[in-house]
Amino acid sequence: MVGKVEPVNGSVKSRTNQSTSAAMQAATLKKDMLNNIFSLKSLKLKTKQQELLIRVSILCLVYVLAFMTRLFSVLRYESMIHEFDPYFNYRTTLFLTQKGFYEFWNWFDSESWYPLGRIIGGTLYPGLMVTAAIIYWVLRFLSFSVHIREVCVLTAPFFASNTTLVAYFFGKEIWDSGAGLVAAALIAICPGYISRSVAGSYDNEGVAIFALLLTFYLFVKAVNTGSLTWALGSAFGYFYMVSAWGGYVFIINLIPLYVLVLLITGRYSMRLYVAYNCMYVLGMLLAMQIRFVGFQHVQSGEHMAAMGVFFLMQVFYFLDWVKHLLSDTKLFQAFLRITVTCAVGVGAIAFGVGTASGYISPWTGRFYSLLDPTYAKDHIPIIASVSEHQPTAWSSFMFDFHILLFLFPAGLYFCFKRLSDATIFIVMYGLTSMYFAGVMVRLILVATPAVCLISAIAVSATVKNLTLLVRAKDKAAPSGSGKGSSARGSSKGLVDHSQPFQRNGAIALLLGAFYLLSKYATHCTWVTSEAYSSPSIVLAARGAHGNRIIFDDYREAYFWLRQNTPQDAKVMSWWDYGYQITAMGNRTVIVDNNTWNNTHIATVGRAMSSYEDEAYEIMRSLDVDYVLVVFGGVSGYSSDDINKFLWMVRIGGGVFPVIKEPDYLVNGEYRVDKGAAPKMLNCLMYKLSYYRFGELTTEYGKPPGYDRARGVEIGNKDIKLEYLEEAFTTSNWIVRIYKVKPPNNRW
Amino acid sequence: MRPKSENQNLSTTSSSSISDAPSSTSIDPIFLILRILPFSFLRPPRLRLKIPTFTLPSPMTVYALVLLTYFMVVSGIVYDVIVEPPGIGSTQDRVTGSVRPVVFLPGRVNGQYIIEGLSSGFMFVMGGIGIVLMDLALDRNRAKSVKLSYASAGITSVVIAYMMSMLFIRIKIPAYLR
Repeated sequence: MVGKVEPVNGSVKSRTNQSTSAAMQAATLKKDMLNNIFSLKSLKLKTKQQELLIRVSILCLVYVLAFMTRLFSVLRYESMIHEFDPYFNYRTTLFLTQKGFYEFWNWFDSESWYPLGRIIGGTLYPGLMVTAAIIYWVLRFLSFSVHIREVCVLTAPFFASNTTLVAYFFGKEIWDSGAGLVAAALIAICPGYISRSVAGSYDNEGVAIFALLLTFYLFVKAVNTGSLTWALGSAFGYFYMVSAWGGYVFIINLIPLYVLVLLITGRYSMRLYVAYNCMYVLGMLLAMQIRFVGFQHVQSGEHMAAMGVFFLMQVFYFLDWVKHLLSDTKLFQAFLRITVTCAVGVGAIAFGVGTASGYISPWTGRFYSLLDPTYAKDHIPIIASVSEHQPTAWSSFMFDFHILLFLFPAGLYFCFKRLSDATIFIVMYGLTSMYFAGVMVRLILVATPAVCLISAIAVSATVKNLTLLVRAKDKAAPSGSGKGSSARGSSKGLVDHSQPFQRNGAIALLLGAFYLLSKYATHCTWVTSEAYSSPSIVLAARGAHGNRIIFDDYREAYFWLRQNTPQDAKVMSWWDYGYQITAMGNRTVIVDNNTWNNTHIATVGRAMSSYEDEAYEIMRSLDVDYVLVVFGGVSGYSSDDINKFLWMVRIGGGVFPVIKEPDYLVNGEYRVDKGAAPKMLNCLMYKLSYYRFGELTTEYGKPPGYDRARGVEIGNKDIKLEYLEEAFTTSNWIVRIYKVKPPNNRW
Repeated sequence: MRPKSENQNLSTTSSSSISDAPSSTSIDPIFLILRILPFSFLRPPRLRLKIPTFTLPSPMTVYALVLLTYFMVVSGIVYDVIVEPPGIGSTQDRVTGSVRPVVFLPGRVNGQYIIEGLSSGFMFVMGGIGIVLMDLALDRNRAKSVKLSYASAGITSVVIAYMMSMLFIRIKIPAYLR
């Protein structure tokens, strides 16, 4: 409150006082009016409160930003589920909300993998479905009548916003709150994370990254404080991660590796002991509740590192206790050497016995190919064929990270300068995840939180240095808001020489830093809008006049299947489309994206690459009624089955040696025109893709039968089908469905 | 290290064994067995050997190694090893028939030639080192000229690295930011 100036008693004072008092009265009157209007001035906030207000408002803005930037495809197309895997997740969530948890947990699905069926309850990670179902039930309880599809579409952006909050707290734990805020802002728009958590991408990773960061944050907090509560929290965070994604193996290997590094660098402490033991034991017990994981924590080779480190910690504790009891150092040294030798020996023998007897299973192919990237190419074609499993080129890194690639090494430098338990953790997380991101494009997602956090440290430290230079003018007052700055300020020598030059230079550098960050924001928004917001089930292209043309052929075909085929019809297609056919077409499929049975997939691959009569035998044995192929020759769509055909041959040939890849190639080259191999020109996939295509003129000036995706005129235009007949072709010829004719009546 | 106790073992003939030869107070059974079995009649030579001690490297040494690994990973070395692309691509000029080199693999985001990967990785590392140099220029009590040169080197590194990276990505993906 501004103090009111008392008007001086006019009669005693002189005339000048009277005039000044009148002036002052007028001034105070004005001030009072202003105060009544702008009453905010009356609540003069203390600096700490101002800082809190700024922090909270930044976090709120970042939360909203993270949600909004993921909504491009909802605004452009409609609120639908994207890609392939999310359709399976959607179908299971629908089942969960309709039938309840026990039915879901014990569900055996006979609608996929036709003769075999699939035990869905025991072969999925339920975290995502249960999360979406809980959100749905809560909203319903609050009388918002939403459809489960909307909840599924918006689950990933919601959890991305929550991840930014966790990133803030994590950054605060590692460095300080400034770094936390920058980390939250960076991770909100980073394309590496957006690519798998855009609205509509209802996949495990959307929830799993939140669980991953939460587990890591709680564990680092537990190591820093030594409190049992935080360790318990991290065990539950680990349980959530295990229920959400198969990538939990990363956590259960990174944390023991981190503990090992701490032990080697001599940072063993009671806090570490409490944190790791609680987290490992409880986390392991909780993880065994998920049927898909089962007893892997004690049986699988991938989880043995955690167990080994657990026993090592007990040895350390024991040695510490003995050291505390013994006062004789020489005796203790001898005891130490004997114990360590015995412990290592016993551990090695136990591990050897376990592995040799087969109790401890070796590393599965999926994870082994991360350690030895050449393994999948030679031995497991299914893993090698998935486009997301390809190794990463520099442009993918640049696309997904932009300037974070510069800030990452700088942030590592700052972490190495100020080593503590927490910074050692983030360095290890960053390095291991960057290596794995280099091996497989898909794993850039796992590296994103680490890269954002370390880059935030670099940004925060650099900006802090620069602002200290800018404020160095009044040496008496380092501001109260900079927490670490006063300690830093004392170490800066020679700040006051050539002062204005340094100050201007620092201001220029600050502007440069803000310019770089704004370019980052522009890049992220452009990448999100152009590259990562396509639903994959609806294709878009630019027409001749720049207008947008939508190809909705997939959904057209699936709904045709749903409405025009008998209920118990079985559909054979390549495994990419299995989930979508089951979810939208509501028909039984032979193979789908789960790819758990390689022989079954190889059977389908063999059918697709054989001549029509051999393929008919196989299809009759599998009770197939309809065959679905994807063809891009008319629309120019390049991810069609003819381009994937060589993978069908390789996978089929891997199990049935009658299928040989060189039969389909000419001089090592894959062709579909007149010079193609004869086996290629007559196989089932070729016939089904190009049936009646020879009569169609696709492009002005080109002969009929010109394939726009391959850019050649096809070789065999006169195709006759003997055992199948065409049932449906979509409007742009992208999806083609054929009916398998029943065998001829004898006589 | 073996505990150095008083040397009581003048009785053992051959065992002016190795420089740290203590003995009768040792409780190590294997050592006692070895002392009897081969070394009661064999005389080991006098050597100056030390059990190698394991010292942890300094943080900055580790940081240098980490930077090297980062350079290799971000240049796409795993892609190079598995997909085995050529070092540099080539295209044939339609008019003259001469073979011209192509540095950047066109058409795909996730594909590269070896040299383009290495040069981009170098740019990223240079940018990182630039920021490190800027911090070194501020945080030490060094001579003013050294600080000035660090600062200018740092700033130019960052600027050049950013501009080159933008140029590279624009060449590779022509539709970038349009």
